[in-house]
Amino acid sequence: MQTFVTEAVDWPESAPELRARVRALVAEHGERDPVRRANCWTKADPEFSRRLGEAGLLGMTWPKEYGGHERSQLERYVVIEELLAAGAPVGAHWIADRQSGPLLLRLGNDELKERWVPGMARGEVFACIGLSEPNSGSDLASVRTSARRDGNEWVINGQKVWTTGAHWSHFMIALIRSEAGSERQQGLSQFVIPMDAPGVSIKPIIDLTGAHEFNEVFFEDVRLPASALLGEEGQGWRQATAELSLERSGPERYLSSMVLFLELVRHAEKDQESSVRDLVGRLASDAWTLRLMSASVAAKLARGEDHALEATMVKDLGNAYEQAIPELVQGAIEMDLSSDELLASVTAYLLQVAPSFSLRGGTREILKGIIARGLGLR
Amino acid sequence: MSDTRRMLAEMADPLFAELGFASTDSDWSRLDELGLPLLLVPEADGGFGGDHVDALTVFRLAGFHALGLPLVDRIVASRAEEGTEAHFHFGAFARTAQIAGALDAALAMSVAYVNERQQFGRPLGKFQAVQQELATFACEAAAANCAAMGAAEALDRGDAGFEIAAAKLRANRAASEGARIAHQVHGAIGFTQEYPLHQFTGRLRQWRSDFGGDAYWSKELGESVIERGADAFWPDLTARTD
Repeated sequence: MQTFVTEAVDWPESAPELRARVRALVAEHGERDPVRRANCWTKADPEFSRRLGEAGLLGMTWPKEYGGHERSQLERYVVIEELLAAGAPVGAHWIADRQSGPLLLRLGNDELKERWVPGMARGEVFACIGLSEPNSGSDLASVRTSARRDGNEWVINGQKVWTTGAHWSHFMIALIRSEAGSERQQGLSQFVIPMDAPGVSIKPIIDLTGAHEFNEVFFEDVRLPASALLGEEGQGWRQATAELSLERSGPERYLSSMVLFLELVRHAEKDQESSVRDLVGRLASDAWTLRLMSASVAAKLARGEDHALEATMVKDLGNAYEQAIPELVQGAIEMDLSSDELLASVTAYLLQVAPSFSLRGGTREILKGIIARGLGLR
Repeated sequence: MSDTRRMLAEMADPLFAELGFASTDSDWSRLDELGLPLLLVPEADGGFGGDHVDALTVFRLAGFHALGLPLVDRIVASRAEEGTEAHFHFGAFARTAQIAGALDAALAMSVAYVNERQQFGRPLGKFQAVQQELATFACEAAAANCAAMGAAEALDRGDAGFEIAAAKLRANRAASEGARIAHQVHGAIGFTQEYPLHQFTGRLRQWRSDFGGDAYWSKELGESVIERGADAFWPDLTARTD
């Protein structure tokens, strides 16, 4: 039994040049505040996104016809791991660049592609994902938001929740029940909904840090043209779960606390305590391993092979790692969490948000269930 | 995987499986026939001329089958003189690969066992608590395998001090967690001499301490990262693979 691909990763020759470009851009326009550099892919800075677009660093693998740059998957991987390691504010475009763009290019009709994709590649058009509903969390197949046919149009009614970035997004790709009376995975379709369509309203949900990242989104008789259907009618479940595997194993799944690890190293430069030094070693070993694992999955994805199981394993291990860092740092170093001191303030912030790391994008329990099925259990 | 490496794996796998943990000194001739002890000796000197990924393949399979004969140690000794730093580092790499193999074997054994063993009218593998433990185990085994591969690639590139330290430390932690879960899901049968689980978990325990335990490598790695400084960590990490 070998559960994980261990083929060598063939890093692109352009990697050093791409890294240098990203580092220069981040040094000039990135986030200064180390606390805001933590968990950076939830921090929206539309101006930074626009600059990335201008530099040709968004939509990197997309066709030139739609404003993309036709670079390889691993070249894109190099760029995103650099952005995340540096704590760049990539939240505004993150979902568009990671999954909505690829999804539209794969399944969208010409009208949808022409309308949305070039703006995403420029870093000017942002997207959100409509999956969870008040009664559909981990049990996604129970969604009830409905799409009803009316002549040549679709009429949407219902509600999505925990929608990250709905308030800065231009459109949502939502999983919706398009066949009345259908059950579970049957009768679901994906729709592209402009956030400014009449009948769409957004209500903020403030998280426990006081930040506004997610929202409730309501649909009241939202009328969409036939062309708003993404992919095939009734294939929404298959399409959405394939999309989810795209978002599982990226470097954002282990780098959310990297800024704190770096602050720990900075602290250790003047702290001789052996437990601190051991902790640096242990966390460095994990970072190195997770980087290899995440990149191996990216390489497998680039070869067009099925990577779903490995991607799930990377997310589970990566989340455990980024979640453990603030706990371990707090345990190893005496600090006053309410002080302005850098190490303490980054630790305090990450201790607050770390519980979300093993919830977002599939809870730990759901992931472990997927892995167990892959092992031949269940 | 290259053709030579596939051939190497196809030779070693069934032979190690046949010899297993009960192999004795009289079985050395079988390993000699395939030239395995000379795996890393250059072809010009009559050896196999393998690279470090070839070594990983053989070491991992030796771990997977809990090979009783110390073939791995003999290959390590062919590479560097005992007592030297080079020997210690290469030994740590070898143990990382063996741990990766033994974890995969113990995982397969655990999965097979829980699918077969019935309690409360259903296989143990149907219980979520058991499934989640084995999922954790699979992730640890995957991490050890990737770490071993990363170290092998670094050795092929040249200086691999950082990677060997990181890989052995990661594999050590996986060895401990994997052995714990393997025993837990096996229940009492895994605690008997008759059942072969201890052939793997016993080796995992030993290998975790061989050529540097957790404390040794975390100190080594920690010191080296701190010495380079916070701002060098990420650029160093990426420069090693670019």
